[in-house]
Amino acid sequence: MSEEQNKQTLVAQETITAEVNSSDTIMDVFVRGARKGWKVAIDNIIPNVLMAYVCIKVLNVTGVLAWFGTAFAPVMAIWGLPGQAIMVILGALMSMGGAVGVAMSLFNDGTLNGTHISILMPAIYLLGSKIQYLGRLLGTAGVPGKHYPVLLGISFVNAAIAMFVMKIIAP
Amino acid sequence: MEELKRKAVKVPISGYIALMIALVIFSGLMAKVGGGWTMLDFDTLNGKFGLMKSATASFMGQGGSGARDGFLFALSLAPGVMLALGLMEIVEHYGGLKAAQRLLTPILRPILGIPGICCVALVSSLQSTDAGAGMTKALRENKDITGNELLIFTAFQFTAGGIIGNYLASGSALFSYMTVPISVPLAVMLVMKLFGANMMRLYCKMFVQEEK
Repeated sequence: MSEEQNKQTLVAQETITAEVNSSDTIMDVFVRGARKGWKVAIDNIIPNVLMAYVCIKVLNVTGVLAWFGTAFAPVMAIWGLPGQAIMVILGALMSMGGAVGVAMSLFNDGTLNGTHISILMPAIYLLGSKIQYLGRLLGTAGVPGKHYPVLLGISFVNAAIAMFVMKIIAP
Repeated sequence: MEELKRKAVKVPISGYIALMIALVIFSGLMAKVGGGWTMLDFDTLNGKFGLMKSATASFMGQGGSGARDGFLFALSLAPGVMLALGLMEIVEHYGGLKAAQRLLTPILRPILGIPGICCVALVSSLQSTDAGAGMTKALRENKDITGNELLIFTAFQFTAGGIIGNYLASGSALFSYMTVPISVPLAVMLVMKLFGANMMRLYCKMFVQEEK
């Protein structure tokens, strides 16, 4: 068995077995998970969100964001969203945390409201980190490259439908 | 792999209880019930940041922008992420994930067209994209799934990958601004994942020759 396979089997076993170590109290278990959360926050969320805020700042200062807002207004209006919401979608393709950062930043300056956030929420994740996942998921699992366009297409269709559904549900 | 199959079958009763409690906590069902029951609500447990003395904004302040504002905002997400992953760890520790696998196994073939053996990988993929990807590769290499089943299964995982983990981690930042309970977008996403996989199922049936 190759080293890579070994590693994957290990990952698999760690995920399922969830060894019940009787000396661990429920508090110990919680703390172990919270520690993982801290690592995710520091290694993943903070750098990604910071990057998104800087991007939005650049787009704002250069006037590109306002231009995008006008250019994409007719498209995003289909889902009852302002044109600038396209930035959340584009951000999602890079990273989910980044898209959340963009959404937050647009919420803070009054471009998006709670309803808009609710509509965008499923789309952020359905389209989330597509670029990374091409390697991390499709590459790892060994999906032939010729099927990538279909898989990407499905994600976009999913996001589009989900936003329609949310538009109907969200007050 | 035999080991994995065997372990996946045994589910302690605590597993079902843990799974049920987790579903209640993350669904936001108890938010409106009031009284002590709100202890079973994620948003209540997550709480709020206090306001600065005689101010209307929390420590993030108002009107910030750029990297500094992004940093403070991201920092404000940390408690929610830690709470969510801490709760998930408890669910996993008491066998909640095994219970979910057990409940899902018989319905995988009808709803997704993939064999029940994918259940472990499927439940893992909801938490972590990378764990799901690694296990899916192993399933294909062991010839447990066919080429077309691999496509359907990866279509399921590719859209909203690692959804539970990711949604609870980064999404928690936006939970308080949403006009719907946190379970609603989650439910929509899970349905869309199934829908997407079934689109791939259809596509495979029509256009993809099954490889031996």
